[in-house]
Amino acid sequence: MSVLRLLASRILFSVLTLLLVSVLIFLILEALPGDVATRILGRDATAKALELLRSQLDLDQPALVRYFQWLGDFLRGDLGVSIATGRPITDVLGPRIVNTLLLSLFAFAIYLVLALVPAIIQATNRGKAVDNIISVITLVLLSLPDFLLATILLFLFAVAVPILPALATISEASTWQETLRAMVLPAVTLAIMMAVYAIRVLRDSLIEVLRSDYVRLAELKGLRPTAVLFRHALPNAIVPALNVTALNLGFLIGGVVIVERVFSYPGFGTLLIDALQLRDIPLIKATVMISAVVYVAANLVADVLAVLLQPRLRTSR
Amino acid sequence: MSVITTIPARRFSRFNAERWRATPGPFKVGAVILVAHALFAILGVFWTPYGFAEMGAGLPLSGASWQHPMGLDQIGRDVFSRFMHGAHIVLMLSFAGTMLGMVAGTTLGLLSGYIGGWFDEVTQRIVEAMISIPFLALALVMIIAAGPALAGEPVLIVFVVGLVYAPRIVRIARAAAMDIATREYVAVAELRGEGTWSIVFREILPNAANVLLVEFSLRLSYAPILIGALGFLGFGIRPPTPEWGLMISENRNLLIASPVTVFGPGLGLASLVIGFNLFTDGLSRMLGQRPVAGA
Repeated sequence: MSVLRLLASRILFSVLTLLLVSVLIFLILEALPGDVATRILGRDATAKALELLRSQLDLDQPALVRYFQWLGDFLRGDLGVSIATGRPITDVLGPRIVNTLLLSLFAFAIYLVLALVPAIIQATNRGKAVDNIISVITLVLLSLPDFLLATILLFLFAVAVPILPALATISEASTWQETLRAMVLPAVTLAIMMAVYAIRVLRDSLIEVLRSDYVRLAELKGLRPTAVLFRHALPNAIVPALNVTALNLGFLIGGVVIVERVFSYPGFGTLLIDALQLRDIPLIKATVMISAVVYVAANLVADVLAVLLQPRLRTSR
Repeated sequence: MSVITTIPARRFSRFNAERWRATPGPFKVGAVILVAHALFAILGVFWTPYGFAEMGAGLPLSGASWQHPMGLDQIGRDVFSRFMHGAHIVLMLSFAGTMLGMVAGTTLGLLSGYIGGWFDEVTQRIVEAMISIPFLALALVMIIAAGPALAGEPVLIVFVVGLVYAPRIVRIARAAAMDIATREYVAVAELRGEGTWSIVFREILPNAANVLLVEFSLRLSYAPILIGALGFLGFGIRPPTPEWGLMISENRNLLIASPVTVFGPGLGLASLVIGFNLFTDGLSRMLGQRPVAGA
């Protein structure tokens, strides 16, 4: 029962957080002192242009009314109309979200391999040369900005050894092989950026678990080392890494902005940058709000998973 | 009344020759890299081989040579001179932004952890909401909201870095304050009738110093990346100021013609962050904190 109550309270807090996020986004973008229209168009905008923008954004209404209107529409699934294109935002967002979801899933699959394999190698070879080498590589990768890593990979595999396309411009006309090939470089970049955080945590927790009594017992029982590692040690060592994975999902949402930009991938991230460059306030509000929803949902799932995977947490919290 | 034996932790203030020999290797390597970067940045303020905005310093796109270690860009500007001049800009922006985030985050976090109650609840909910917006999106939205008058100004970048960092630091400071608030010397200070501000800043802050120092170092490691990312996306410092992220973005068109114009500044940026990361790692071990995993 306590699990259900815990779940209910977590969900409640998540909803509260998202409400606050909506207030924050609205405050930052529309309720700062000064005229919103002038801030968007600049000081030398014509009076006519300012007037048009004001009516598009309903700026004649009080801020409180505008906020609740926006929130109500958002909850009903109506995201408003993009100023730059004049199209409903749901139409613009739909395909972009699908593209980014595809890219993220691909990246996540690579991430699992890139995080697990080095961590297992390190933990089972603790203190040996291979452990140190992987540590150094992780540290270097951890210190590389994502835009630089993306550019390096692009240079290596699209310019120096041209085996992959430099631009990941896909469309409905592309076949699935083309789409997959186009997604390799951005997906690998994202996966590496996420994995470097997880490898360290996973290595340390795996080493700790491998030293525990029940792993010793399993070894003494005469189980094969691989069985001990994969059936007994790994499931328990993964719990701390789950938190990192949730953090990583948060990173993924931010990371796609840069990586999609470098490879011109038509996803959610490039849409956000376009919206920001065109100062398309309704589109900015919608994209930022959706990224927060995804982040909060990912954290909720990670929390619930952590509880389900580790019975100890069910009572102690 | 019993004697209070807990002494405020001040280990961090004593670095001497013996300690240096006993410090972990990563810390030394990190410290050396950082000192080299600092000296390079200071030199770059006063002297660069060519002017950082000087066009026609050589043949455009002629690649790396002894005269131009990082090559020349499209309009014949010496990339190494630009990189050198940009060093102090990157360092100062990172430091100022992180410092702003630290001051705001620490103050709010310590107060929130010590006072508790509804003040803590409200603060935590706001912090939670701010962290739920991906930091890059939050930074970009704030830059847009500031409007065209402030766009590209160093002040705005410092402010944005501080605001993105502050909620994350609040969490760390709050956790430390909640732990320290249960100690005897805080109870004694309360009995002496000291006020909230006095307790927070004279009793709790010095004892949270180790945690906060590691946090500061960790945030500082990431600041050049964040600032670089803003520059790379075209929302950072205004050109022609040679901020490294902006330079990498500008020279990306030259990736085929002259890759060194991209990877030269890129290597410099990466080495700075590696220095910060090694330093942080060593610092956290020396101060008896858990090794940090970033993010």
